[in-house]
Amino acid sequence: MRTNKLSVIGALALLLGAGSAIAAEHHAEWERAADNEVANLPSLQRGARNFMSYCSGCHSLKYVRYSRIGTDLHISDAALAQLLVRPGDKPTDYIKASMPASDAQDWFGKQPPDLSLVARSRGTDWIFNFLTTFYADPASRQTGVNNLQLPGTAMPHVLASLQGVQTLRTANHEAGATPEAAAKAEGAEHGEAHEGKASPFEPGVVGSLTPVQYDEFVRDTVNFLDYASDPSQLERQGLGIWVVLFLLMFTGIAYMLKGEYWKDVR
Amino acid sequence: MSDHATDDTVPEVDESRRKFLVAATVGTGAVGAVLTAVPFLSSWSPSESARAAGLPTEVDLSKIEAGQMATFFWRKQPIYVVKRTPEMVASLKSHDADLKDPKSDASDQPAYAKNEDRSLKPDVLVLIGTCTHLGCLPKTRFTPGDATVTANWPGGFFCPCHGSKFDLAGRVFQGSPASVNLRVPPYSFKGDNTLVIGADAAAEKGAA
Amino acid sequence: MGAASETKGGGFRAWLNKRMPVDQFMADQLTGYYAPKNFNIWYFFGSLALLVFVMQIVTGIFITMHYKPGEATAFNSVEYLMREVPYGWLLRTLHSTGASAFFIVVYLHMARALLYGSYKAPRELLWVIGMLIYFALMAEAFMGYVLPWGNMSFWGAQVIINIFNTIPGIGPDLVEWIRGDYAVADSTLNRFFSLHVIAMPFLLALLILLHLVALRQVGSNNPDGIEIKENLGPDGKPVDGIPFHPYYTLKDVVGVGVFLTLFAVVVFFAPTFGGLFLEKPNFEPANPMSTPEHIAPTWYFTPYYAILRAIPDQRLGALAFALSVLAFVFLPWLDRAKNKSIRYRGLASKALLGMFFIVFLVLMWLGLQPAEPVYVLMARICIPLYFAFFILLPFVSKADGNGPVPSRVTYHAH
Repeated sequence: MRTNKLSVIGALALLLGAGSAIAAEHHAEWERAADNEVANLPSLQRGARNFMSYCSGCHSLKYVRYSRIGTDLHISDAALAQLLVRPGDKPTDYIKASMPASDAQDWFGKQPPDLSLVARSRGTDWIFNFLTTFYADPASRQTGVNNLQLPGTAMPHVLASLQGVQTLRTANHEAGATPEAAAKAEGAEHGEAHEGKASPFEPGVVGSLTPVQYDEFVRDTVNFLDYASDPSQLERQGLGIWVVLFLLMFTGIAYMLKGEYWKDVR
Repeated sequence: MSDHATDDTVPEVDESRRKFLVAATVGTGAVGAVLTAVPFLSSWSPSESARAAGLPTEVDLSKIEAGQMATFFWRKQPIYVVKRTPEMVASLKSHDADLKDPKSDASDQPAYAKNEDRSLKPDVLVLIGTCTHLGCLPKTRFTPGDATVTANWPGGFFCPCHGSKFDLAGRVFQGSPASVNLRVPPYSFKGDNTLVIGADAAAEKGAA
Repeated sequence: MGAASETKGGGFRAWLNKRMPVDQFMADQLTGYYAPKNFNIWYFFGSLALLVFVMQIVTGIFITMHYKPGEATAFNSVEYLMREVPYGWLLRTLHSTGASAFFIVVYLHMARALLYGSYKAPRELLWVIGMLIYFALMAEAFMGYVLPWGNMSFWGAQVIINIFNTIPGIGPDLVEWIRGDYAVADSTLNRFFSLHVIAMPFLLALLILLHLVALRQVGSNNPDGIEIKENLGPDGKPVDGIPFHPYYTLKDVVGVGVFLTLFAVVVFFAPTFGGLFLEKPNFEPANPMSTPEHIAPTWYFTPYYAILRAIPDQRLGALAFALSVLAFVFLPWLDRAKNKSIRYRGLASKALLGMFFIVFLVLMWLGLQPAEPVYVLMARICIPLYFAFFILLPFVSKADGNGPVPSRVTYHAH
């Protein structure tokens, strides 16, 4: 009967809700959204420069050519050669890591992964959090740092000169910490509450950028990696608007034609 | 239910509206079909990899001896680079009557190669080493008087596939199956000793 | 017939028709084929399925021009297609979105059959051929997914092929034979490439042709479930029928327009569809030493996968998995109602069918979730409900589906 159907649906809904709640516990406690915009060209350009300066030493972008970045991000050949292309590389070359793979294996125990598709395989949020949640952990890590997004990462804190090296606030994991207390302790800038949660970090060594500037830096870099993982997205949506409009027009005309002939059917 | 057999309220069929709507639908559909074909057909155009590989090639001319030829590749085609001696250049004047197209009117070369020695600088000949008949690689027969080619052979190229003969400027001789002179690619010089195949002022303007 | 007149349109048509029954065919299949006039929205999906099939073939032909099968080259060739081939990204996205669109359309097409009893006599064979198309389509999609050789391609193949291990006696040998190696490897990839590009498309095309022939023979069902051929007018044509051309050719064109619009929105604005159509782990190359965090097949397989995973015994799980797919085949014989359409069955039948649709969707969602206890528990509740549909159908349909049906279809002129 109708009531049976409803009660079945109700029971399922309850279980679904319970399921979602349990699933949510598995997310990292401190996860922020990258909020990058691929349409923001200057951001992409800064991100490209950030990548070449800080990341390309160890990480390759093996599916990306310098020249393609130049075309897509409207960077002139001269600027490309001066700021992005590694000396010795041609503009049409794919971007290789400077560090030889064997050295990386020796120093880090594994080869730093290629980053051409990382924004697609891990997601921009993941990368943003990875780059912003390094903290001092000399006790357990040879590199001296650990990471909330990827605990036990072999990567050192390459951006330490910019962000500084924060420390993990041990009190944060207790129920007592509140956003207000955190903000009061560190000042609004660093201990900013995010969605009502207090930052798990407190400042340690200070870097050359403020936390807000550092977030922007990381956002630009993530933005660039987002573009690099799928360059077509820059033109895809523009083209899509025209296609959808055309199809709507076609459907409208076809609908009128159908209606005209179906007047015959009584 | 209602009587389906005859219905007096059936409106008159508006034939002209139907024709118009059919035309509009078919027309829009046809436009859509053509536009849809564009990405499929474009996908056959050379990819970025092909174009990257087809960028200009630089050649060190000092490595080639006078009177000798070296072969390079540009855009997957063999490029013959010949360091012509003054005698070789002089030999070009004597046999216009034996050539099909001595002024290179019909053949494919950049404007700066539409002269008697078909080159920017007479001492460097740059040709696409593909016979204009059916595409084989012509062999060198630079020695004048080489009887194995023909009587009064001034020196040049001989294609082994079907017997086409070209002079030391790549111009085709009468009696050859090929009908046009060997093609000259765009090229330029960087300094005295570097030849850049595939790049000249015009090619850079319309950079692929 | 003079040589001059043979080159004109009329002359050419006569010349052609003397040698091939073109006009006869058009008259028989289009203007002379009468379909019920009361088709509703559920009746678009057959022609849309055919459209998607053609789209997959055409886009497939073009991406095969750039794809390089083989462990070392497959992944790179897909990135090459996405980045370096002019419009390669569009061709690939059309094909990947098309695969999911195919299943959306086919599931809705099958739902129509369940709603209106389109599998019942005399359409049992039509239904069985349709099920064969469904099985072939699942195989085709599964193999196609392996081809990019991403990490999910590899591990999905590993897991699904291992299910065959459970077959008594021949299991392990069969699995090794399917793979051509001791684990999913280059040999597996290459044979899947051949099957996906040539063998299965031919088989699908043949099955689709048979499906259309069988349909033509018995004629379409309709939302009221009454046979229009039983009520002929003075002209010998069904009174509730209308010629397929121009009425349904034109109506289907509108359906195509709406479908393509929605399709284009996905292709151009949400090609990964939140990780459902193009899954995140597959943007990493296949790695035999690293299993993705949670392995799930693509969404269209997940109802059956949820069933497989929820049963703690491997052999039983595989059996339940197989049965859950095969059960559909028996519907024409499980359903013992006199009336075809759900419109003329009782509340029990409606509840049973409604329950089945909901359970199917819930299982689909469950199969996408990680293998955690709460989801496994929910699946274990859904499994008996799923099979209950098939088990109870003979009894509910016999009790519930014998009331009066109208003699004419329900149709409102518009």
